[in-house]
Amino acid sequence: MKRSHIIAIALIAVAIAALVSSLYDSSTYADLEEALANPGTEYHVVGTLDRSAEIVYEPSRNASLTEFTMVDLEGNTCRVKLAKAKPTDFERSERLVLIGEATSDGEFHARDMLMKCPSKYNEENRMVGA
Amino acid sequence: MNNEAIAYVGEHTWAGQLGHVLAILSLVGALLALVAYGTSTRRGDGSWTRLARGGFRLHSVAVLGIIAVLFIMLLNHWFEYDYVWKHSNRTMPLRYIFSCFWEGQEGSFLLWTFWHVVLGNVLIWKAREWEAPVMTVFALVQAFLATMLLGIYLGDVRIGSSPFLLIRQMPENIGLPWTALPNYLERIPQFADGRGLNPLLQNYWMTIHPPTLFLGFAATLVPFAYAIAGLWKGRLRDWMAPALPWTFFGVMVLGTGILMGGAWAYEALSFGGFWAWDPVENASLVPWLTLVGAGHLMLVNKRKETSLFSAFGLTLITFLLVLYSTFLTRSGVLGDTSVHSFTGEGMLPGLLVFMLTFVWLSVVSLLPDAGARKFFTGVALALLLIGILLELYVAAILVFLALAIGWTVGAYRRFPKPEQEEGLWTREFWMFIGSLVLLLSAAQVTFSTSVPVFNLLLEPFQAPLTKLGESTGSEWIKSLAGAKLAPPSDAIAHYNKWQVPFAFIVALLVAFTQYLRWKSTDMKRFWKQLALSLAIAVVITVIGVVLLGYQLAELDLIALFFATAFAAVANATWIWKGLKGSFDKAGSSVAHVGFALVLLGALVSTSRQDEVSRNSQGMDLRFLNEGFSNSTDILLYQGDTVRMGDHYVHYREKRAEGVNLYFEVDYFDVKPRQYRQGDTVRVRDILFTANDDHVASPEFLLDQPTHWTPLEDYPRRALWHARGWSSTQPGEQLFQLEPFVQLNPRFGNVAEPSTRHWVDRDLYTHIRYADLDTGDTSGFMPPRLYEKLLGDTIVTPTSVLVMDSLRTVRDSVTLAMLGPEYTVYMLRMRVRDLYDSQRWFEARPVVIYRDGQPVASKGFEVPDLRVRYDLASVERAEEGTRIGLNVYEREFLVMQAIVFPGINILWIGCVLLFLGTLMAVRQRLKRRNA
Repeated sequence: MKRSHIIAIALIAVAIAALVSSLYDSSTYADLEEALANPGTEYHVVGTLDRSAEIVYEPSRNASLTEFTMVDLEGNTCRVKLAKAKPTDFERSERLVLIGEATSDGEFHARDMLMKCPSKYNEENRMVGA
Repeated sequence: MNNEAIAYVGEHTWAGQLGHVLAILSLVGALLALVAYGTSTRRGDGSWTRLARGGFRLHSVAVLGIIAVLFIMLLNHWFEYDYVWKHSNRTMPLRYIFSCFWEGQEGSFLLWTFWHVVLGNVLIWKAREWEAPVMTVFALVQAFLATMLLGIYLGDVRIGSSPFLLIRQMPENIGLPWTALPNYLERIPQFADGRGLNPLLQNYWMTIHPPTLFLGFAATLVPFAYAIAGLWKGRLRDWMAPALPWTFFGVMVLGTGILMGGAWAYEALSFGGFWAWDPVENASLVPWLTLVGAGHLMLVNKRKETSLFSAFGLTLITFLLVLYSTFLTRSGVLGDTSVHSFTGEGMLPGLLVFMLTFVWLSVVSLLPDAGARKFFTGVALALLLIGILLELYVAAILVFLALAIGWTVGAYRRFPKPEQEEGLWTREFWMFIGSLVLLLSAAQVTFSTSVPVFNLLLEPFQAPLTKLGESTGSEWIKSLAGAKLAPPSDAIAHYNKWQVPFAFIVALLVAFTQYLRWKSTDMKRFWKQLALSLAIAVVITVIGVVLLGYQLAELDLIALFFATAFAAVANATWIWKGLKGSFDKAGSSVAHVGFALVLLGALVSTSRQDEVSRNSQGMDLRFLNEGFSNSTDILLYQGDTVRMGDHYVHYREKRAEGVNLYFEVDYFDVKPRQYRQGDTVRVRDILFTANDDHVASPEFLLDQPTHWTPLEDYPRRALWHARGWSSTQPGEQLFQLEPFVQLNPRFGNVAEPSTRHWVDRDLYTHIRYADLDTGDTSGFMPPRLYEKLLGDTIVTPTSVLVMDSLRTVRDSVTLAMLGPEYTVYMLRMRVRDLYDSQRWFEARPVVIYRDGQPVASKGFEVPDLRVRYDLASVERAEEGTRIGLNVYEREFLVMQAIVFPGINILWIGCVLLFLGTLMAVRQRLKRRNA
């Protein structure tokens, strides 16, 4: 076998391994219902902040713990414990992506959170009522 | 309702109309150039070239005109225009007008187009015989980009997005009542000022980063166009000589742009580092990797006739990856996975057609004979029709891409092969391998960034995948069938798993490949020349491993450390050994040293970054969930001085300056604690008293037998108030950092870091949470009101309160001072530290009532618990006495602090990479012109 063939085969093998790995390591988007049905499994959950529920952030108790309620895209709600300081302008967030797992007692424990603010890139034109 | 009949007041519609006309002209010019250059390429006819130049000039003037009109609109604050209103405002300093110009989707397309215009005109001037074919490719790209700015409708499909739309013409506003008001600009207050620029973007990085990055993207088009031209002309090797300087120019500019993005994130944003493997960052890194590979393969082929096909492959793929990254970041497919991508706004179909057209162009150009080219084109068009008519988009794209790959592999035959295999120990072989590793590295990053795209591609296969998942019982296949893949939860670990080995191989190759010779190498000489560098690298690695405390389990990191140190040393030595100190030719060596240092700096600073802002107070998060890391944020009460990493820190006060709220944090030296005879300390539940004056040892147990005597008899109160033993105390003040929060009611507040730089490390801090009320200087946080009955227990975040009794103060002095119409209440409470059941205090807040209304109160502070209690109200009710109690915590802030060791290695590497590449480009240009 020529050396170029060996290289070509190695190249393709590594590329396929990288592709499979990226699929294998990837997490899954789920709604709260699915996440709560599988406690302990890590999911990405997309939703919004429930502004009617209390947001609890007590730095003097723990500076890296924020509790709030999330509404997912299906309308399910769940109490969330997020292991991060409360982000600035959390109340104004438009969309949240939680990364974490549900617990068996029906809470969601988020290790991390992505937050999109309406202001960041595409605030709605607020002139509709004008 | 026909709004065109309304005579609107105060609009500057001429600008928008001019802009639209110019946008159309720019498309017409690009199309004219495309047709004329294309014809000229086929016929070799000079008169067509002249026409084509006219077309491209028309295009260039139109693009410059569009830019000028947009600037005029921005500078004059014509807020009737959507782009102006969304991205600028009146108070904005002039320098940010540039930033807001390219903040939006349309403006950044315009910036990209602008650089193509500049580069295209340089090529018209310089490219000579290559002008016609190269500029044909340019014109095609420009035609696509021009349509992206058109914003016209063909039926229901909008082509591109125009920056010249009035707000009342925006699709979401058409038909709204206010658009019928002729004087809407005066009537509606929102039109008085624009929204302005996001405060995140209000810094000089936003002024320099996008132009650099887009110039880098634009530069990748030049080698691509030359490669296509070479294929068309059948001059399979000649195109590389003119393309090479451009390639390394692209490497330099794109690399600088990417690193500027990292520096921006590090210096001015609170992301907590310079690289986060965010999809948008990845999308700019990937083309750089393949461009570097392409450049090196061109070098190989110039000297030895090998690697021709791969040189084409990487050159073509680099530009395709630029298009793919544009597609990823602008079509909206990234959706929730990135914090800073644009939203789609209907750009997806246009971007997809743009990208796939160039895939088609690349493959067709690679194909050897006219028949195959026609056949492939026919199949592509058929798939396009099938895809659109039957709405089988994904299937059509997948079949197209599969065929494109198949035909590309087939085209491999066309390329001449060297008669004999190259030797194993030759420069060309290992440069070839290195370029392929760069390609693999790019592929891995691309795959993992493309997870949202995979969801789209997997969707049609849900049924078979579900079946397969059920029959094999594989959870993984079932999750694929769901087509709801999310990016890896731990992105950094995922990328490092692959990229650390790739970086190791590349760094190793960078180290020794220069020492190999073309064609064949005398291996004895090779080892002799390399031995010294190897020895130095081993020594550096040993020192590094010891200093940074790398464990055997981190063998991959140690290996990368060694490889990068080796690469830096070997390339530095090469300037003397290989080039005999000739500085003119040292460009590549300097760049290689820089590249190695970038990798080394990134390795050291990220693998040994230390979040020193650990919190020692309150509750441990790991009780909640083992996966939670305990407290990356430190809580600093104003006035307290606490240990953080190698310093004592002290939050002095906050200070408002313009829109910024600065938090002054002092840093003190750590020195051993001095104890004096008679000092009392608490260790666990025992009090000790010092026998003599002494300096504390690192551990209490070392000191206790000689210096401390346990107290046997003491009041419990003494225990509660006693301080714990500590081996250190704050020394002199070393410096102050002022992390700040930019207050912006419209866009939201933005925390900006403050970093202390040393030669060997940085301390990076930013505010996570604080009392942002600039007017509040009481030294306390806003209160929290608790309403309970007398006798109840209140639990606050730091204390437990037992409200024992309420006394009405009636002593003669109080009565004489206030008069009989006042009533004074005093609440007696016992207060316990929430986290220490032994620490009890007493508090007696007072409130004064007159005519049933509270008129004054006197709070009671418990300094040990950092709280003040204010009696807000006393109310006699049926169920008992209702007490309102305000609890104030002493003012605090929550801060994150990270130490990045060795980050200066990274920045030095950046500078060397830039300078080295610049030197190499200059040298290459000189040689060509000589």
